[in-house]
Amino acid sequence: MSTAQEKLQEQLAASFTPQLADNAAVLDQILGKSADMQQRELKLCGSSEYPGVCCFVDGLADTSIIEAILKALIVFGSDLHRDPAAMPTAEEICTTLMVNASAKPCRQVRDGIAGIVSGDTLVLIQGLDEAILVSSKGWKDRSIEEPSSENNVRGPRDGFTESIRTNTAHVRRRIKDPLLRFDATVVGTRTQTDINIAYIQDLVKEGLVEEVKRRLKRIKIDAILESGYIEELIEDAPLSPFNTVQSTERPDKVASALLEGRVAIFIDNTPVVLIVPTFFWQFIQAPDDYYNRYWVGSFFRCVRYLALIISLVLPSIYVMLVSFHHEMIPTSLALTIASGREVVPFPVLLEAIMLEIAFELMREAGLRMPKPIGQAVSIVGSLIIGQAAVAAGLVSPFMVIVVAITEISSFAIPSYSSSLALRIFRFPLLIASGTFGLLGFATVFFALMLHALSIRSFGESYMAPASPFRPSDQRDMLLRMPIWMMNDRPEFAQDTKRMGEQQMPTQQTRKGG
Amino acid sequence: MKRAAGLVITLIILLSQTSCFGLRQINELAIVTAVGLGLGDKPGTIKVSAQIIRPADARGQTGAPSGGTGQPIYSISAEGTSIFDAIRNLGRVSSRRVYWAHNFLIVMDEDYARKGIKDMVDFFTRNHELRMNTRVAVTPDLPDQVVSTITGLEVVPGEAVDRLFQNNHVVGRAPASDMMNLEEAFLSSSTEPVLARVQLKPRGISNKKPEEHGSLKQVELGGAAAFLGDKMVGWLSVKEARGLLFFLEKLGSGIEVVKCPNNDGVMSIEFKRARLKVTPSYANKEPKFGVRLTTEADIVESGCAIHLDEGIRQDAEEKLEQRLKSNIDSVIDKAQHRYHSDFLKLGDVFRNKYPEEWRVLKRDWNRTFSDAKIDVEVEATIKSGVLKSVGTEIR
Repeated sequence: MSTAQEKLQEQLAASFTPQLADNAAVLDQILGKSADMQQRELKLCGSSEYPGVCCFVDGLADTSIIEAILKALIVFGSDLHRDPAAMPTAEEICTTLMVNASAKPCRQVRDGIAGIVSGDTLVLIQGLDEAILVSSKGWKDRSIEEPSSENNVRGPRDGFTESIRTNTAHVRRRIKDPLLRFDATVVGTRTQTDINIAYIQDLVKEGLVEEVKRRLKRIKIDAILESGYIEELIEDAPLSPFNTVQSTERPDKVASALLEGRVAIFIDNTPVVLIVPTFFWQFIQAPDDYYNRYWVGSFFRCVRYLALIISLVLPSIYVMLVSFHHEMIPTSLALTIASGREVVPFPVLLEAIMLEIAFELMREAGLRMPKPIGQAVSIVGSLIIGQAAVAAGLVSPFMVIVVAITEISSFAIPSYSSSLALRIFRFPLLIASGTFGLLGFATVFFALMLHALSIRSFGESYMAPASPFRPSDQRDMLLRMPIWMMNDRPEFAQDTKRMGEQQMPTQQTRKGG
Repeated sequence: MKRAAGLVITLIILLSQTSCFGLRQINELAIVTAVGLGLGDKPGTIKVSAQIIRPADARGQTGAPSGGTGQPIYSISAEGTSIFDAIRNLGRVSSRRVYWAHNFLIVMDEDYARKGIKDMVDFFTRNHELRMNTRVAVTPDLPDQVVSTITGLEVVPGEAVDRLFQNNHVVGRAPASDMMNLEEAFLSSSTEPVLARVQLKPRGISNKKPEEHGSLKQVELGGAAAFLGDKMVGWLSVKEARGLLFFLEKLGSGIEVVKCPNNDGVMSIEFKRARLKVTPSYANKEPKFGVRLTTEADIVESGCAIHLDEGIRQDAEEKLEQRLKSNIDSVIDKAQHRYHSDFLKLGDVFRNKYPEEWRVLKRDWNRTFSDAKIDVEVEATIKSGVLKSVGTEIR
């Protein structure tokens, strides 16, 4: 630790003194002459014996609140002919003079500084050995928008924003259960990022909240800029490409996870909220499944399972069949493929890898470009290059179709982060099946399965409820059963009963009365 | 970490030791769709001719221009002292590795078949690349000609012949023989093989020169070749092949043309839902077979110009029965008295009912079969005249 740090820690550990000048000097030393630090001087009740100062960060604090503070301390004080001497403690001033929603005495310099840098206003008054910390957070926020990475047709349109309080309010509005808890903690020595752990006390899996807190406490890092930092520091399988922590921008997803007995981790300054424990199959499920009728929900879920399989194995299977197992292709199809490949100078594996990489380039370029140009990139990339590459005989039309279908399938997976994981798995599968055929494909796929089965996420098997097989959870696995049939929560929840008996609507019989 | 690395290295070593590394691009293969077997020019040699697909021409322009000649197939032949030797010699001519898994048809020369097909059955069932659903046929023509003829509507001629076999029950004039049932009959002690007969006939009409009728040769599927052991013993005509199909493939329907009772005209009768039942019996150490064919029938074309009344119907039924009986009789006669070969699978039926007696009889079954008494009974019922019961005549 540097000497500057040591000195800072020493200053922070001190308490406020009754001398205003001393206190102001300490604040000046700690905060320096930062351009955004504002100090507003005042006289308590208009009395020049009791000078004071308001410290706040310009831009973080709401000026109208600061005006209210000043009004209370100067104007109300003198209007009411209060004698400053009659209010000897900060507590007294808070209770008798202040009109702000949240104002509390503050003895430690550390607390005062923490309050100022997070947007609160610190009021120092001559003669008091405590300061008054008034909540005055009020900065410009992004408005609530629909999350662009998680679209759905039916369902709420609101998404999380960068403000942690707005985000927790979204969830509180959905679950008006008094047992919904938000436990606060701070991570990051320099960023001092607020983190809230949300759970419903009588539903959450036993021991889960303690485990989450334990893992968060373990983190010693200077900065948390996004929930991805936390995710990587608390996940169970840090080396695995699979993500064992679900992340979402949708409040309805978080609410439903909490109601299943899981824990959500809110991180300030990011709209992405983490949910643990996580199961692999959740990445295939979309909120639409539950908002549309169950026939539709089940059908589209099946489509997404198909997309999962295609996006993982289709190029590998094509490469494997075309370069090793020609006898497995129906004759007419074999001839069509052979005729398309007649002039292609590359082996099919190389052709597949080339096209996959070309597509990844296009995807990445389209993502990074400014939006209007991004469209042009995708048109040039997909249409023109695709067409020209086939016409020039560089790639076969079949390969273009295979890669295009694969990519479309990977976009059909609702969770973008997990579709990225599948994208990474595609390459070893592709190379194995292009060099060893079915044998290589089976080996790598088997290794992949073993790996996925070995992972746990916060004490729960990653592949559950498929393995270990949980009969009652199957109602929401391959198919989405009707709401009136899903009368149990997942097995790890404390209280698994979630609805009354016989919830299936019955025909109203037309009897009198 | 060390263990994981060790595991990966072990897996890679294991995989590379399996010798499954057979990477071949599909466009580097010469895909064979029909193969002809015949006797070579030199005595003791075998001539193999292969019909190989030119994918670019067989599938038109998919993708980049590929410079085709317009011909969908490329046919080559080679000779060798054994089938495998001859096939390897194909490699002297073919620029691509000859690939057999998509083969549709094996055509044998009559002379080759008469010398014995033991080698051929062995080779085509032993090789892992070859499939058991490949059609097998015998031709009186040269197999290289059959193989290199562009025939049928299909772009790939081998596929066209395969379709002929698939639809053989429509015409009902040749058995749908493939490697599977050839080997089955070949290995069985109770039956003998019988293969379809294909022949080149000038049936195609050229679009450019229609006046030269039948200038294009086409492959015709009709008739059969009967075998005793592994040697071909003789042909079965198309009529006998129909009788054969009742035994081998439970032929259910077909057309027979009979004379009108009143004039010189003819009427066509379509028999449907035909069922052949063979009942073996064993008395006085002599096997006996009762063959009973029951069928329904419709009159589908009538040139008789009379109402189809009860009398006409009975008359037509009798004639149809005679026709069908003569079909069956003729093939039984050929099998028993001409070729002395039980390719009708009557031995199978007998063995299933009398397994104990079969043990004694199987040693000399073909002779026992030749002497066996076979009663043929046909019962036909004409159900309708389709949409008309009156005759068609100008009033």
